[in-house]
Amino acid sequence: MAVNMAVSRIKREFKEVLKSDEIAQCSIKLELANDNFTELRGEIAGPPDTPYEKGTFLLEIHVPETYPFNPPKVKFITKIWHPNISSVTGAICLDILKDNWAAAMTLRTVLLSLQALLAAAEPDDPQDAVVASQFKDNYEMFCKTAKHWTNVYAKGPHKFPDFDAKVQRLRDMGVNDFDARAALSRHNWDINLATNDIF
Amino acid sequence: MKVTVKSWTGVALWKWIANDDNCGICRMAFEACCPDCSFAGDDCPLVWGHCSHVFHMHCICKWLNSQLNQQLCPMCRQTWRFNDR
Repeated sequence: MAVNMAVSRIKREFKEVLKSDEIAQCSIKLELANDNFTELRGEIAGPPDTPYEKGTFLLEIHVPETYPFNPPKVKFITKIWHPNISSVTGAICLDILKDNWAAAMTLRTVLLSLQALLAAAEPDDPQDAVVASQFKDNYEMFCKTAKHWTNVYAKGPHKFPDFDAKVQRLRDMGVNDFDARAALSRHNWDINLATNDIF
Repeated sequence: MKVTVKSWTGVALWKWIANDDNCGICRMAFEACCPDCSFAGDDCPLVWGHCSHVFHMHCICKWLNSQLNQQLCPMCRQTWRFNDR
């Protein structure tokens, strides 16, 4: 009898991803988060020559019952500083996850598209307007901030002691780690502006 | 030496002539049926688009019915037109 197409397809895709070249190169990963193939966990490596290089980014993937006729719902679990990804919720603005989805796309192509999005931001179609305006107005500051977030949240290699010190100063005033970092990032690491924003 | 054939059983293989092994929508082999069917072959036929892409008829119809504005091929995003070969 008729089987749910979403489940049978995800089972096949799962096997395909495990055999793919990208898995062999450790550039993407996919694992199940529940037993009925509707919740999955994705992982992508930050692309080389970007502020996300050598970072590891986790994604939450929900497969709707109408898959593959509707796109999977994907968001970042790992905090990330990127114009097309909400720094607060991890929500993603990417056309193929919305209107431009096609039934021939797979979880593997979605993960690869997200990796490509990290390498090529679209600041004119932002999900996070603050990050997007920093990207356009102060690109150097954007890169440093994105590298810092990659270091703190995604195991990236680039440490920024002056940023860490400013976060610590706000924490000493009782602000939690993420709120402190987010406020400083929003204000180009000006501690006075960040302090005014929080209090 | 003379051999007399007393009986024989014919065996035949069939295969769709398509440019791919699997349906891009349900990812099942073309020689198998779509997930909604039980029997492959005439009960679950393939259809070709003008763009040359091939799908199970049931799969592409479901896809086209799920599209509100445009009817695009799920592979190449060209406007989908059935190719009656």
